[in-house]
Amino acid sequence: MTDTTSKPLLYVTLALLGSFVQSSHADESVGYNRTIRPLLAAKCLACHGPDEEERKADLRLDVRESAIDSGAIVPNKPDESELLRRVLSTDPDEQMPPPDSGETLTDEQRHQLRLWIREGAKYEQHWAFVPPQRPAIPMVKESSWVRNDIDRFVLAKLEAEKLAHSEEADRYTLVRRVYLDLIGLPPTPEEADAFVNDSDPQAYDKLVDQLLRSKHYGERWARLWLDLARYSDTNGYEKDRPRTMWPYRDWVIKALNDDMPFDQFTIEQLAGDMLPSATNDQHVATGFHRNTMLNEEGGIDPLEYRFYAMIDRVATTGTVWMGLTTGCAQCHTHKYDPITHTDYYSLLALLNNADEPDFPIADPAIEQRRQELEAEITKLEADLPQHFPVGEGDGPEESLRKQNLDNEFAAWLTEQQAKAVHWSVLRPSEMQTNLPRLEILADGSIFSSGDITKRDVFTLTFDLSSREHLVTALRLEVLPDDRLPAGGPGRCYYEGRKGDFFLSEVTAKQGVAKVDITSASNSYGKISIGSGNADAKNVLDGDGSTGWSTSGREGHASQLVLNFAKPLEPTGSLTIELLFERHFAASLGRFRISATSNESAQASELPVDLEPVLIRDESSWNEQEAAAVHSHFLNVTPLLAEARKPIDELRNKLPEPTSAMVLLERPADNPRATHRHHRGEYLSPRELVDPAIPTVFASLTDSPPKNRLEFARWLVSDANPLAARVTVNRAWRAFFGNGLMRTSGDFGTQSDPPTHPELLDWLAKEFVEGGWSLKELHRSIVSSATYRQSSVVSKALLARDPENRLLARGPRYRVDAEMVRDIMLKASDRLSAKMFGPSVYPPQQASVTELSYGNMKWNVSPGEDRYRRSLYTFSKRTAPFAAYTVFDGPTGENCVPRRNRSNTPLQALTLLNDEMYLELARAVAERRERRTSKEEGATEIFRRFLTRPPGGDEVALLLEFQATQQKRLEAGELNAKMFLDPDAGEAEQMAERASWVMVARAVMNLDEAITKQ
Amino acid sequence: MTHYHFDVRRSQTRRHFFQSCGVGVGKIALASLLANESHAAVDESPNPTAPKPTHFPAKAKRVIYLFMAGAPSQLELFDHKPKLTELEGKPIPPEVIKGQRYAFIQPDAAVLGPRFKFARHGQCGAEVSEVLPHLAKVVDDIAIVRSCHTDLFNHSPAQLFVNTGSGIPGRPSMGSWLSYGIGSEANDLPSFVVLESGGNLSGGAAMWSSGFLPGTHQGVPFRGQGDPILHVSNPKGFDTQAQRDSLDLIRKMNEQRLDIVGDPEIATRINAYEMAFRMQSRAPELMNFSQETQETLDLYGAKPGDGKAAFANNCLLARRMAERGVRFIQVYHSGWDHHSNVEGGVRGQAKQTDQACAALLEDLKQRGLLDDTLVVWGGEFGRTPMVEASAALGRSKGRDHHPQAFTMWLAGGGIRPGISVGATDELGFNVVDRPVHVTDVQATILHCLGIDHRKLTFRFRGLNFRLTGVEEHHPVSELIA
Repeated sequence: MTDTTSKPLLYVTLALLGSFVQSSHADESVGYNRTIRPLLAAKCLACHGPDEEERKADLRLDVRESAIDSGAIVPNKPDESELLRRVLSTDPDEQMPPPDSGETLTDEQRHQLRLWIREGAKYEQHWAFVPPQRPAIPMVKESSWVRNDIDRFVLAKLEAEKLAHSEEADRYTLVRRVYLDLIGLPPTPEEADAFVNDSDPQAYDKLVDQLLRSKHYGERWARLWLDLARYSDTNGYEKDRPRTMWPYRDWVIKALNDDMPFDQFTIEQLAGDMLPSATNDQHVATGFHRNTMLNEEGGIDPLEYRFYAMIDRVATTGTVWMGLTTGCAQCHTHKYDPITHTDYYSLLALLNNADEPDFPIADPAIEQRRQELEAEITKLEADLPQHFPVGEGDGPEESLRKQNLDNEFAAWLTEQQAKAVHWSVLRPSEMQTNLPRLEILADGSIFSSGDITKRDVFTLTFDLSSREHLVTALRLEVLPDDRLPAGGPGRCYYEGRKGDFFLSEVTAKQGVAKVDITSASNSYGKISIGSGNADAKNVLDGDGSTGWSTSGREGHASQLVLNFAKPLEPTGSLTIELLFERHFAASLGRFRISATSNESAQASELPVDLEPVLIRDESSWNEQEAAAVHSHFLNVTPLLAEARKPIDELRNKLPEPTSAMVLLERPADNPRATHRHHRGEYLSPRELVDPAIPTVFASLTDSPPKNRLEFARWLVSDANPLAARVTVNRAWRAFFGNGLMRTSGDFGTQSDPPTHPELLDWLAKEFVEGGWSLKELHRSIVSSATYRQSSVVSKALLARDPENRLLARGPRYRVDAEMVRDIMLKASDRLSAKMFGPSVYPPQQASVTELSYGNMKWNVSPGEDRYRRSLYTFSKRTAPFAAYTVFDGPTGENCVPRRNRSNTPLQALTLLNDEMYLELARAVAERRERRTSKEEGATEIFRRFLTRPPGGDEVALLLEFQATQQKRLEAGELNAKMFLDPDAGEAEQMAERASWVMVARAVMNLDEAITKQ
Repeated sequence: MTHYHFDVRRSQTRRHFFQSCGVGVGKIALASLLANESHAAVDESPNPTAPKPTHFPAKAKRVIYLFMAGAPSQLELFDHKPKLTELEGKPIPPEVIKGQRYAFIQPDAAVLGPRFKFARHGQCGAEVSEVLPHLAKVVDDIAIVRSCHTDLFNHSPAQLFVNTGSGIPGRPSMGSWLSYGIGSEANDLPSFVVLESGGNLSGGAAMWSSGFLPGTHQGVPFRGQGDPILHVSNPKGFDTQAQRDSLDLIRKMNEQRLDIVGDPEIATRINAYEMAFRMQSRAPELMNFSQETQETLDLYGAKPGDGKAAFANNCLLARRMAERGVRFIQVYHSGWDHHSNVEGGVRGQAKQTDQACAALLEDLKQRGLLDDTLVVWGGEFGRTPMVEASAALGRSKGRDHHPQAFTMWLAGGGIRPGISVGATDELGFNVVDRPVHVTDVQATILHCLGIDHRKLTFRFRGLNFRLTGVEEHHPVSELIA
């Protein structure tokens, strides 16, 4: 083999140009990181470590200066060091660790401490907290084996361990392996043969190129990223309602297919909304942290569950970009890793200043449909006069119709003008709330933002002294706004209808004196959830559990009019208190208050901009005003109710725009405060904390991040020693089954050291300097001789290295849950090529989701959606797709840096008996029919699942089984018809065909079918 | 080629060793199995649910957990508070409420008196409500804890908390911890099963999830109708012979592959397929009540196939599972969330469950199974002494969620019978004697099974997780026989 270190594009070997500085872990002869740190962590730091609350005798041993200042350690002088004296003491009052702690040291450990102090008591930063340095490429004896630099690191270790690498995997194994790894699908027998028979020495490289360009690449790698993102199509917890999260999933697939550099990939997902002139896609990308669960159970405290979502965001960010377990520091200063309790909440503060709105995404198809329908509506509205009933009398029909319309309009107008009230908008001079932020807009309406609770109180004060007239009544308009859930007018976003509100009580004071409101009316009222009414007077009854609400009119304005017992003099101030109290948060999002001196004011269904027109005499109207009044009449008159039906139907058909769930940084004047929470409890907030990265990392940067965007940029900067290491390690794990760090989510001081530290750092440096290209990282891994090894393992090697930590062989393990199904879909040629869009429902027994809250019906998708790639399967958190769960598929509840890989009887039952799989086995058996001989038929089935040609007596075993089963079928012991497609009807050779279905099902159940090897 | 058939047989031998030889627990080194198993995900032995030794001798071998989802009113069932009748209609003193948050009501809501009469029963003289006439007959077999309390006041989180030790979905459930910690006694049934009746269950599948533990340990829902275990029946057309022939072919080809590639995972898969086949015959046998006498059916009120008797059927099924070595039998019954008309609601649910709960105890006892079967009864929190009423929701004379105090009972293996533990104040609002946190209950359950809850850990994301969390909690010593 030739040495192929000079890869195209970015993987230029820079070793000679780079520094030869060894990374801190390269030489641990001093033994701090290897020996002393674990010893101190296990035996001493619980009382003498970073946690101030637990610290005893004010002694801290994890920081050298402190240990020396206190006299515990005198470098080079073990016999003068108090630490050594205490660990050697036999006096129970002096001995350390205290005898009753059960943490006594061994003689060996005491000796190690002595040696370490004698050598100067040198401390080292934990290797993972020091930025990676490019290591020297090691020299190897067998350089002929090397295909790229990865192999030098691996081989150097093998040679040191006196282990031989394995030979290269055969070409069938290799083609299947690299297909599964890069695109998550197996090759067809034809695709495999094309590679195997390609004599071009570059055949493998060409194949890798082709697979990296495949659109399926993004689908394969998106699934792994979605594990980290805790993606799901539902909200979680009790009700677990659907959410629209698929635009984010599609963004991930596209970004990976485009090989978006990982630094940009990171920044857009964490803070795309804060980028200058953020694009739609950059907004959608922030869905990453909207994948947290939303508790919609009635009666919850929404801010409590928002707090838990923030905890999840911090944990996920820590796992994905820092390889750090931050969880401990939620409740107290970390015992071992240098993250204090305050650090934790400062980190949380960096992510905490965003609102969580729905973000309408422009969909040209939807937009076009909407415009078409609106044009149709306009046309029908223009035609309405032609449908007006014909009046009585003589003359041409059209003139009678016109006359009738004019008469009816005049009568209606007289009535409306008599009722029309002059309202003037009141602008508050002061606004107070329990929490939400109120803002006065140009039209005098008030807009609410920030956090809301189950009991919101808005107190609005108005100056009446500038008014000329008495105030007899107030009008509260509740108004739509695109920024609100479902367009408002309310801010309800869970449990109740989106955009709903619930106004419990309204009270008024003039100065300090309470003023009575005697009557109330509304233009529309309906409550959601519960059997209560929405009468206007509910807001006056002193009972918080009754109220006014406009459910079902989301996106539209309504009004409530309140009449005072006695007209208010235009002096002093008027204070209105609005109370919103329900078992879910439902205060108003946009509203406006107006006053009148009219004594019989009532809520009106007239559009508020028409009312001032109606007050004026008809002769003063301009053309536009006249048309508006006339058009309104046509839209409300009962005489046209029948004629308007088609219009109403069209309105109901107007498509809702698709919305993505996003983060949106809050306005500068309303930042969200972040506190330290005592013991991590939501109900125990303590002092305020500023946004900041943990102190241990702050020293590595001149400009520590202060907001989410800066934080995202810091995460993928040279100042974060972890992001690149963690990312390349995850990739390594995806190919080899284990990371170079086996704990993919934890690079902290308690983690096992990496098996190949230099390789890890080399990959990290290559990755960053090569422009954070995931495709190039993947290319370099699959191009290595290390990756291309056979996975066959001898008993001796298995005993020596059962988990393949030393990489003396290729990877072999069962594929992930979704890939199990995708393999079967591809093998049966049923796989749909359709990408993107709302999630789909492949077949599964109804009982899986019927057990969930609300008894969700699983309506199997028709057409090709039945066979979409598994990544597109609707993922319901409380009732996940059973065929994935059984193979350790994630539920979307946690960030999963590495899945379990269990091997269970329920997996066997699924592959053997699930009708979804049997249908695919049937399809594979049908393909056999294209082959002439039985041997060829058996081989076709075998290869569609396993890729390689059968060997030994494998075909004979299949044929023997087939013959036995055919005999039973022919003898009527088994009913052939039941094995075949129920829709196929009677056909020839049913027994033989049924027997092949049984063969296909058996092959589908072989270990090899669901294994990457 | 190397032969690996050895590995397959070895696991069977090991099982035999544990099952038949009755090796004393203390004789087996404990360290390897219950200690920090950071390698567990990779080190799947051919049978990951093989029985494993306990920390100390176990009193109970298995658990039947009767989870009353929705939170039954302790004030209508076990915790008699005549003072509430006296104060009915008046608000609770503010100094008692102390800023407590509620799900639906305002804290100044009026008191609602108990809706039922109470009387003392058995030799122990335990006070039980009139709607539990059957349980009243077996009070000498149970231990009542009236001083339970929890941290959470909404259904889904609180149910998750009892089942997994966390209010956020994603942690391993108690049954999974047990399956992981001490394995299974059954080689033809899952070690952890889930039975449901009564409708919507707030906590959902996360309550029997194996969380970060290997998927082998997740709870397996049994359905009352159709396939009891998902896909446990052969596909249409396949008879047992066809299934066996198929498995023989699969096994033979897998063994050949094992010979060639040497991966022990193939041996594990062969075992898994064999166990799947055994489950296929065991599950229908388990579900078939025809061997049960009419007397037994009547004791429970069980009626096979009748949805109205679902809880009774599940209790009988739980006993059958206990006989067949299932480790953790989680029986959920929903329908206790009585925000309105707590009187009618509790009466109805008691009617559906009381007889079967008592029957289960009696039946286990007469078969000698109660000695090593731990039975636990309880919900996720309690109900308020205050009334819930809401015009918007059309509710009246109900009770809201109350995490400060509620009642559970335990019986059987390892539990001291005929005792009561703990007490609440005269309003039933706060615990005043011997508070028992739900985590203490978890620790108690583990203790009865021979497990020190502090030592049952799993390393995940760099932390040693345990069911009972990081706060200090203890088994309830008064409960332990």
